[in-house]
Amino acid sequence: MAMLQRRILKSTLEEAKARFNFNWYPILSPCASFSTLPSSSTTATAHDHVPPHLPPFDYQPKPYNGPSADEILAKRKRFLGPSLFYYYQKPLNIVEGKMQYLYDESGRRYLDAFAGIVTVSCGHCHPEILNAIVEQSKLLQHATTIYLHHAIADFAEALASKMPGNLKVVYFVNSGSEANELAMLMARLYTGSLGMISLRNAYHGGSSSTIGLTALNTWKYPIPEGEIHHVMNPDPFRGVFGSDATRYAKEVQDHIEYGTSGKVAGFIAETIQGVGGAVELAPGYLKQVYDIVRKAGGVCIADEVQTGFGRTGSHYWGFETQGVIPDIVTMAKGIGNGLPLGAVVTTPEIASVMAQKIQFNTFGGNPVCSAGGLAVLRVIDKEKRQAHCADVGSHLIGRLRSLQDKHDIIGDVRGRGLMVGIELVTDRKEKTPAKAETAILFEKMRELGVLVGKGGLHGNVFRIKPPMCFSKDDADFLVDALDYAMSKL
Amino acid sequence: MQRFTPARRLFSEFKCSLRRQRRCFSQVAPNVIDNNDGFVPKMPSFDYSPPPYTGPSADEILSKRKEYLSPAMFTLYSKPLNIVDGRMQYLFDDKGRRYLDAFGGIATVCCGHCHPDVVEAIVNQTKRLQHSTILYLNHAIADFAEALANKLPGNLKVVFFTNSGTEANELAMMIARLYTGCHDIISVRNAYHGNASGTMGATAQSIWKFNVIQSGVHHAVNPDPYRGVFGSDGEKYARDVEDLIQFGTSGNIAGFVSEAIQGVGGIIELAPGYLPAVYSTIKKAGGLCIADEVQAGFARTGSHFWGFENHGVVPDIVTMAKGIGNGIPLGAVVTTPEIAAVLTRRSYFNTFGGNPVCTAAGLAVLKVIEKEKLQENALVVGTYLKERLTALKDKYELIGDVRGRGLMLGVELVSDQKLKTPAKLETLHIMDQMKEMGVLVGKGGFYGNVFRITPPLCFTKEDADFLVDAMDHIIARI
Repeated sequence: MAMLQRRILKSTLEEAKARFNFNWYPILSPCASFSTLPSSSTTATAHDHVPPHLPPFDYQPKPYNGPSADEILAKRKRFLGPSLFYYYQKPLNIVEGKMQYLYDESGRRYLDAFAGIVTVSCGHCHPEILNAIVEQSKLLQHATTIYLHHAIADFAEALASKMPGNLKVVYFVNSGSEANELAMLMARLYTGSLGMISLRNAYHGGSSSTIGLTALNTWKYPIPEGEIHHVMNPDPFRGVFGSDATRYAKEVQDHIEYGTSGKVAGFIAETIQGVGGAVELAPGYLKQVYDIVRKAGGVCIADEVQTGFGRTGSHYWGFETQGVIPDIVTMAKGIGNGLPLGAVVTTPEIASVMAQKIQFNTFGGNPVCSAGGLAVLRVIDKEKRQAHCADVGSHLIGRLRSLQDKHDIIGDVRGRGLMVGIELVTDRKEKTPAKAETAILFEKMRELGVLVGKGGLHGNVFRIKPPMCFSKDDADFLVDALDYAMSKL
Repeated sequence: MQRFTPARRLFSEFKCSLRRQRRCFSQVAPNVIDNNDGFVPKMPSFDYSPPPYTGPSADEILSKRKEYLSPAMFTLYSKPLNIVDGRMQYLFDDKGRRYLDAFGGIATVCCGHCHPDVVEAIVNQTKRLQHSTILYLNHAIADFAEALANKLPGNLKVVFFTNSGTEANELAMMIARLYTGCHDIISVRNAYHGNASGTMGATAQSIWKFNVIQSGVHHAVNPDPYRGVFGSDGEKYARDVEDLIQFGTSGNIAGFVSEAIQGVGGIIELAPGYLPAVYSTIKKAGGLCIADEVQAGFARTGSHFWGFENHGVVPDIVTMAKGIGNGIPLGAVVTTPEIAAVLTRRSYFNTFGGNPVCTAAGLAVLKVIEKEKLQENALVVGTYLKERLTALKDKYELIGDVRGRGLMLGVELVSDQKLKTPAKLETLHIMDQMKEMGVLVGKGGFYGNVFRITPPLCFTKEDADFLVDAMDHIIARI
């Protein structure tokens, strides 16, 4: 098995070598086995010459007998269209997952530091969640809310109990885009105003309306967006006002006073921008902006699709890190550990405007997804995932900051808990995005066995948002791998 | 053998109209004599016992729903039903009582509740990998996309996976607008296409439309054979679409979207000749034709796999959901490579769309439909059921119309056959009584006076008989 892996790796690297034109030879040393050997010690100098090892993991994936990567890629090109992009020059065929690890078609294990885009919150195929899903699938997959079923009610209750203030009416949908669409509808109905405000660099969805809220040109098709304005991003690293929240908040005030009738429908933000590159909003920003928006009659929407469910470590919800209570909260991704599920939670007052007409979601709140969602909430509490994120996250960030001292290419290390970003620059003063280097390192990390995410408008930010069972050993492995890869640049 | 009594006239004032009549019913299953008179139809036998239910009661659930879920969330029936288990075309309540599911979770459960092949596919894949996104390869999405594309005619072979019908229709509308560079879309009055901002615009019944901006959609006269002003003359209705384009737009439009048989709208089959004429008009205006197959697709109409095939047209974009996964949250948009290319202008991404579990389920569904010849069953049983319902229509003046195809059937109730006055109260009453007898149907139509019969496609003739006999039994007692 190891021979096959080395052969695959070798051919891949020959390809990369030709493409990127630098020396890979040290990686092919005989001790670079990718099976489950215990991790070696992690001194900085040792990893300049020897690639680090994956932490051990006591699990054997099932043998894979399905189509190969090439066969799948050919079918994708034919039946899934040219717009369906993928990671890596030579895309990875992921066939199995267990907790924080993924396995490719040859049985090789990878550290999943991206969790299917911040989605697999508890761990791939987590036994408790798996059990809930399987048991419910055997009883009843779907009947809709026209009949009663306990799963949706129990899950709604449990979710509402995690919310502060009067946030306790839950709407179940099937994705983050659907959740944000619904939140926008609620805001406009409730206030009677049209204008929505979102932040530059935000991502709120890919449907035709949420594209309006999203503010990154890569994701915005040229279609009418309606009354949506994007305000200055309170970005401590790249923003013109640094971490001065008050200056950024004034932007919002100015927009309302000059660009609207003086009244708006609402404001929406992620507390830590995900797709935008793990950008944490300047401290104190949301408190000031929520005040401004509410004075203009608007509602405040917190997009917790990525930051929710304990990921930030310090708090359960991202918005809590800014000391605010929103009027509407949207969530998806981690809510079901990968199940297609989203939710909107709001106050009874705001929910009441939705009673003017019928709004119905056929799949939303189905027994299987509700059972899965409830299991997720229980696992997060039982396994103390939030505290774990704080603990491992601070260790990870600490090590990354040390790495930043060592490698000039690391312009910024930011985030909280297990929602971390590493921004790469070619010039620390100019903060010139190191796009090409990020792409190279991204591939190198994969070769070393670490799957990270990429983000930021310029694609120069590594997004580290693993399943929340990620350990300190995993963190060490990740940092060591990054160190090793950067030393070879 | 059936024997019919003369048609009965119903009193317009429902409350004073209860009357009992003696009647004989034909049965396939043995009869049970009820307390008062006649025979009570009996549900076909079924060899399955649900596990005992020990969860919260209906009242507990109802109070939690009131507190934690939307205030507008409704249930069917005066006494809402707590459904805890499902098997093929039957559902079970918290007391273990079996019901014939003639609604299919709103035309969604096509193979049957907890169909073993589909459950196996779901469970096996869930144990291996639930989610990783399309950023990595996985064979499940590729295999399902190929199988699905092979079911479509023409050059319709690029698939986009979403999580719902609304998401699919939203994407279809966006694609049409991008491809043509135009904004105007035409949909049909009484249609239902979804509840997000674009689809709410295409949806055309006031009860589903909130007071928010829904730009760029024009609604054409509904080619409704029963209530429409031109009866079944499809081409006359099609002229309205021409007028809309000539007078209400720049002359060029993004597209046209319709269901082949309106579902929420009350199982209304578009008048024959309508779609071919409209498609021709749309193409002349540079627009794309979108076929919403969320309810009519996946063998439900019996005669064809897709609803649009019944009209002899080939759309440019097809949207689907509901039955595609037998209840798993999944939707899809299928179009041509040429049209699909517009999305390469920027990045379109759907996190959950095309995940291994849902696509594995989708592939299992296609296999079951083929293996168990569900399309043929929908045709045979559906035709039989429609015949029996039509006979019932001849018997009772309360039934104004029986329509639909395969296992997508509608029964419209009116209190006056000439005026076609919707019999709303009677519909509610009968629906409730049907549930008491063990049959779950759906309701639809703008006036809420149409029974929607869209069961799992494994529905049998015995089930059909039970349904009709139950309806007969109940209407006779009004």
